[in-house]
Amino acid sequence: MVRASLFSRVWMNVVLVVLAILFLAPLIYILFNSFKPAGEIFQVPQSILPKEWTFENYLAATSKGFIDYFKNSVVITVGGVVLTVLLSSLAGYGFAKLPFKGTNFVLLVIVATLTVPLVIFLVPMFLMENEFGLLDTNLGLILPNVAVELPFAILIMRASFMAIPKEIEESATMDGAGVFRRWWTVMLPMARNGMVLVVIMASYAIWGEYTMAKALTMDPSAMPLSVGLTLLKGEVWQYGVLAAVIVLAMLPPIIIFIIFQKHIVSGVAQGAVKG
Amino acid sequence: MVTTTSSIRTAKAVQTPEPEGPSGGARRGKRKFPVGVLFILPAFLFIFVFMLYPLVSSGYMSLTEYNFVYDDTPKFIGLDNYFAAFQDTQFMTALSNTFVFGIFYFVIVMVASLAIALLLFQKVRFNSFYRSAIFVPIVVPLSLAALVFLWILQPNYGLLNYFLGDVLGLHFLTQPWLSNGTTAMGSIIVLSAWASIGFVTILFLAGLQGISPDTLEAAEMDGARGLKKIFFIVLPSLRETYILTGTWTIIHALKVFVEPMVMTDGGPGTSTLVVYQQVYLTAFTYFDMGYASAMGYILGLIILILVVLNFFIGRIRAGKDA
Repeated sequence: MVRASLFSRVWMNVVLVVLAILFLAPLIYILFNSFKPAGEIFQVPQSILPKEWTFENYLAATSKGFIDYFKNSVVITVGGVVLTVLLSSLAGYGFAKLPFKGTNFVLLVIVATLTVPLVIFLVPMFLMENEFGLLDTNLGLILPNVAVELPFAILIMRASFMAIPKEIEESATMDGAGVFRRWWTVMLPMARNGMVLVVIMASYAIWGEYTMAKALTMDPSAMPLSVGLTLLKGEVWQYGVLAAVIVLAMLPPIIIFIIFQKHIVSGVAQGAVKG
Repeated sequence: MVTTTSSIRTAKAVQTPEPEGPSGGARRGKRKFPVGVLFILPAFLFIFVFMLYPLVSSGYMSLTEYNFVYDDTPKFIGLDNYFAAFQDTQFMTALSNTFVFGIFYFVIVMVASLAIALLLFQKVRFNSFYRSAIFVPIVVPLSLAALVFLWILQPNYGLLNYFLGDVLGLHFLTQPWLSNGTTAMGSIIVLSAWASIGFVTILFLAGLQGISPDTLEAAEMDGARGLKKIFFIVLPSLRETYILTGTWTIIHALKVFVEPMVMTDGGPGTSTLVVYQQVYLTAFTYFDMGYASAMGYILGLIILILVVLNFFIGRIRAGKDA
């Protein structure tokens, strides 16, 4: 830590308070607006706090269209995260503990995909999904989301398996446990921290994913929140309701973030240093 | 049963000294089939089907004329799509907009994140609150944040004009932010920076934590304090971190898509149209898959060149000092 004089410490606090306000302002603004009655939203001059608090926007948010968006987002995120965790824990273990000829090359290819812009994959993805009737389905978004999340997830899981001392697995081998049982009963529980990090990161990414969902769904009833809500940006009469739905859509990731902040920050930092 | 187990044990005991560590079934099986393959295969299949195959397929398609609606099959035309792209004024506009966005985004995100990381690295009260506030935009879905910014920038009842006009009394500054090319681009840059700074700050903080306390102490013994210490001791020790944050920021700068898509649709006119968006529109509005693939590949190549350049500049600098 760098020590600082009293004078500069006061200034640092001032700067940090201003920064905190700037970063939180959009979130607080949408939160307060979601409690304003329709008339107050268009009132000039504005007031930051609602003059009259109302829940009518949240009640209206349960209407059919929004429920569809929520349902799709939940199904796609849960399905995508479960598959990502399962496949990355298998592959991470393979890369960390069961190397074969060419392992490094395969790993390099997988990591290299991280730098390719998604837009290059979109056209073939679209043609493939069109061929197999996967457009406008939840499965059609789960599968490519898993593929896109896997490279980073594999790196995280590989690092957590590598950190497990060899002796622990060797003692399990002595007991005659087969390789899959060893992975499931001994290694996987020890790589718990990595799995938690993969779950958190993949759920943020898939919950907020826009690009693929925009390209691979056209029917609003198949869209997740991240795309569906943007269709409503021109419908002025809905503003209060839209604010309420946006708040509801932002809450799950923000709550998870508050609970796991330390875990996420150290995980990102470690992953970055190792990767 | 007992005999089988003990024979396995003996076999294991003999093989333990091998350096690669246990590889389970491979050792016990008669043939040496690498079990690792079974663990990696499922994940690899996903990556192959949705990324590696599309990468190759779109590379081929970029050499063809293929309109999804009119043409039955792709027709090979060589590099014509690539030549066409560089004569296409819309594409060149998108390219130059992407670079304008990218340069401002890169400088703002790198400088602000480094500065914020240096601030958060100090012992200040409420440090963890400040961290939460600055990091939280990372987890907010970007398209929804864009909707909120759209609202903030709304000329009549938006937060920004209310704040500038009614709170600060600077009525001459209030304006329809997204109706003017320059302020529209500025708005997109601000949203992107808001969404990215938290993540890059975490990376810089990790780099700062990696500087050994000995280096810092030795510097103080030599009388380096405050800004002097930051500029001559702390910043030069972050070389590896610059490579990392620089790579991340370059990739994200050139991949900008959601912000203009939701906030401006590339407008007014084409003043905020970016390459990613142009590829997207060509593919999914005009269904010109061949041309879209070529433009996507051009973007991919530009990103690759800049990332490699960033890496080598970082390495050469680091090498000189070492």
